[in-house]
Amino acid sequence: MAQALAWMAADPDARLLAGGQTLMPMLAMRLVRPSKLIDIARIPGLDRLEIAADRVELGATLRQVAVERSAALAEAVPLLAKAIRFVGHPPTRRRGTVGGSLANADPAAELALVAVTLGAELLLHDGSAVAAVDFFLAPMTTALPEGAMLTGLRIARQSAPRRGTGFREVAMRAGDYALASAACEVTLDAAGRCASLRLGIGGATPVPTLLPLAALLGTSLTEAKPAIAAALAPLEMMSDGNAGAAYRRRAAQALAEQVLADALAEAMRCN
Amino acid sequence: MTVQLQPPFRYVGHKRRVREDRRFVAGGGHYAADLVLPGMLHCAPVQSEHPCARIVAIDASAALALPGVHAVLTGAELAAATEPLMNGANTPLVVRYPLAVGQVRYAGEWVAMVVAESRAIAEDARELVRVEYETLPFVLDGEAAMAPGAPLVHPPHGSNVLLDRHFVWGPVAEQFAAAPRKLSYRVRWGRSSTVPLETFAVTARWEPTDAVLDVWASIQMPKFPDQIARSLRLPGNAVRVHYDVDVGGSYGVKRGIKHAVLVGHLARALNRPVRLVEDRLENMTGGDMQGPERVFDVELAFDDSGRVQAMKMRALDNVGAYAGRSPFQLGKPIGAIVGPYAIAAVEYHALAVASNKTPQEAVRGFGQAPTNYALETGIDKVAAVLGLDRLEVRRRNFIRADQFPYLIPSGTTYDSGNYHGLLDKTVAVADLFAERDALRAQGLLAGVGIASCLEPSGGNSSFEPLLNPANRTTTWMESCRIHVDGLGGITAAMHTTTSGQAHETLVSVAVAEVLEIPPERIRVIRPDSLASLPSNSPVGSRMAIMLGGAAVRAAQKLRHQLMQIAAHDLGVPLLHLRYSEGDIHAPDGRKLSWLELVLIAHREYFRLPEGMEPGLSASSIYMVPTGGQLPLDDKVQMYPCHSFEFHYVLLAMDPVLCRPEIRRYIIGHDCGQVISPDVVKGMTLGGIAHGIGAALLEEFSVDAQTGQPTAASFMDYLLPSAHEVPRVEIVHQVTRSPLTVFGQKGSGESGYLGSPAAIAGAVNDALAPRGVRVDQLPMRPALLSDLVAEGTSA
Repeated sequence: MAQALAWMAADPDARLLAGGQTLMPMLAMRLVRPSKLIDIARIPGLDRLEIAADRVELGATLRQVAVERSAALAEAVPLLAKAIRFVGHPPTRRRGTVGGSLANADPAAELALVAVTLGAELLLHDGSAVAAVDFFLAPMTTALPEGAMLTGLRIARQSAPRRGTGFREVAMRAGDYALASAACEVTLDAAGRCASLRLGIGGATPVPTLLPLAALLGTSLTEAKPAIAAALAPLEMMSDGNAGAAYRRRAAQALAEQVLADALAEAMRCN
Repeated sequence: MTVQLQPPFRYVGHKRRVREDRRFVAGGGHYAADLVLPGMLHCAPVQSEHPCARIVAIDASAALALPGVHAVLTGAELAAATEPLMNGANTPLVVRYPLAVGQVRYAGEWVAMVVAESRAIAEDARELVRVEYETLPFVLDGEAAMAPGAPLVHPPHGSNVLLDRHFVWGPVAEQFAAAPRKLSYRVRWGRSSTVPLETFAVTARWEPTDAVLDVWASIQMPKFPDQIARSLRLPGNAVRVHYDVDVGGSYGVKRGIKHAVLVGHLARALNRPVRLVEDRLENMTGGDMQGPERVFDVELAFDDSGRVQAMKMRALDNVGAYAGRSPFQLGKPIGAIVGPYAIAAVEYHALAVASNKTPQEAVRGFGQAPTNYALETGIDKVAAVLGLDRLEVRRRNFIRADQFPYLIPSGTTYDSGNYHGLLDKTVAVADLFAERDALRAQGLLAGVGIASCLEPSGGNSSFEPLLNPANRTTTWMESCRIHVDGLGGITAAMHTTTSGQAHETLVSVAVAEVLEIPPERIRVIRPDSLASLPSNSPVGSRMAIMLGGAAVRAAQKLRHQLMQIAAHDLGVPLLHLRYSEGDIHAPDGRKLSWLELVLIAHREYFRLPEGMEPGLSASSIYMVPTGGQLPLDDKVQMYPCHSFEFHYVLLAMDPVLCRPEIRRYIIGHDCGQVISPDVVKGMTLGGIAHGIGAALLEEFSVDAQTGQPTAASFMDYLLPSAHEVPRVEIVHQVTRSPLTVFGQKGSGESGYLGSPAAIAGAVNDALAPRGVRVDQLPMRPALLSDLVAEGTSA
């Protein structure tokens, strides 16, 4: 780790290489020309997966396939288990890493959306942490300081008994970058009313965005449509050759409603 | 007239292992890029960044100074040393060389070629080539290119129209005047293609002592050696194309003539083997591998029962910056212009228009799939206007089984068919309309798609003289030579390349059927072009008919030779002998075994009939069954055989997200006598996958402001993946062709010819409750969702 940081400090044109699922194609197409590649995949301990009573920590070089295959992680953070299957395809998940996806900050990245939705923290090499909502600044742009290395992701565990999650997205093809995605975690009180609600949108907006839905707390969540629309209204929607902003806004609304319904249904099944 | 072999068959039609599969699956294929020759040099093209510009100057000095760089070839140098590439249209002033000469005409066009010790050095060097351009106005849209004052892609030609042919077959005006009902509509077919996993690859080596150019290329190109020789000003026998290269996918686009001429020239000029293997970006932008891009304007005249009496169709094809063979893709569909329907009169206006886009190349079906989409859209519209069931309207218009052979207005006789039978058999599998209604009850947009269409097969070149009377090419042969060695082993040769269509399986089964010897014992080879009999290439859904026909004919000649030997040796009249599994039996119980017959032919000359040449060898150069006449009165017999397919599709989508998902895909398929069931199945499944791409996903889009391609990699050019391709249920029917050796018809384009039309029909049926229609491909989620949200049509 120290060696990697030293090399980075010595050469501002060097690039870190984790799973290489974005960087390698860009190199092949000559779109980036780093002076050096610093392969961090073999730094000891950087691929850790810690599941504690109150939190989980995923090391930066933890392969996405390890997230997908951990039953304990799926039980601790079910939203992550739902989202990970939308990340690329099985062959890319074998190489792709948690940290690589987060640091790349593609607006459509599922892991970034989960991090924002669950209020996760991104861990840096110096022991500091950045809240996910503050980490993603713009497409492919993060708050990671020059010369810093992302070392992991910390997610606090939600302990409520009546909990439900939902994750959906729409893409041109299965495994493609999401045109819009939505993630949700909801908890209910004993009376079946909303005790907590976190609902995030990805793909459609320049960065994954948590919707302000405090007005729905304490309700039965069956009339959420206007609140979601109001929360989406001020957000800038992206546009590209596959889909315009109007499509993304409609899709974000529809997916938000659907993941909320999914999460609610799951929470209602818990007793 | 072909004497047809009748079932039951020993090998034909039986499910057997496809012999090529093992080689490809186990990594045993030998592709052009696998070839490594001593001293081989590598190429990287310098590509135009402008859709239209004058080349003011090319400065390659910095590139040439880079260690390892051997040459930077420019268009001016190449044009001085070679003849222009073949041009199929009658446009002598539309001149094309492998590299741009003086002017670039599309973004991605090759401007210069860098040759270096390695591909990496060539890529480094090309960034150092300085090309000074003076940009010129450009035009991208086909209709805009026809408008007065449009920028001219080829100023000497004086117009952007490369082909303008107008045909009237039958009493069109009278039918339109008398018809109680008419409708008109427009459909658009977006620019897509077949996109092989293997890009184009070619290696050439010049042997100065023998004065022969060896070429190993990933090709599926008619008359490839002739074209190279003509462009390089070499005698035909100075070009040796190695047909034993495996081709990693094509379905039309692996033409590669510009690549081969250029590399052939470089190999001679540098006296070193030279190879060019495109990367994906080069393939998609400068490989000249994109397919038709069409606007159809169609009018139908019909009666209250939904019977269509006449059709007017204008097809405008944006063929891109050069002509090549692409305008002919408007000609081949003339052979099935009325589809499976008894439409008595047709007016057809074919327009090929140049634009500042990548030149168009042949794609699976050679223009038939877009035409089928245009026609099927009309049949659905007739049903909608009259409030009739779409299946019933098709039944009412179908040519009946008792009407074959059936002459269509444009001059082609359909060989055989039973359209009503296959429709009934297919819809009996499931009630997709009931399943659709159940999905609608769940709040989804759901629709049923129907398409019935023909696959003209046995490809010939009749469209060439029909569209361009200066071109009198009508002979399109295919050949096979069989040789039995001194130990009795059988080797059959085919004389063109193969790009995954299982031709070795085809030849071995055909020869095996005649000789009654298991296909596994028959070796199939592809000698080089100088060791080959005349052949054409595996295009136009022709090889089951043509190569299969040649293999059977050659095998029959060989079998006859064996019978003559036996008749002489046994002293028994030939007609009294019985051939069985390689042995020949006399009525009195005597027999000559296969090995004895081989021994006589190869070693015991004194036992041969007088005058018979020794050895056992036979060949056939097989002509398309219906021959090759010149057109008469603007009519011609196009392809001989007509396979039929009936698509029956259920599709559903979320009403907001509008990402179409195919819930059920049933296809009725009739290609006559099936030779290799797994090969036909593979063609059909692959064709449907291809059609899903064309209908829903794939498009070579171009930025309208800059003329730059915006789908130049698999990130943006969206091929359907295993997730998007559903399980397909295939319903079989066999209506034999009377014209072919086994009664077979073609299946190389099956699935693709109707699936875009069927899927488009299903999407429109799904949208119908919202009062919205889409008549353009591809139908992508945002387009559909925006239309639903706005309540408009496109």
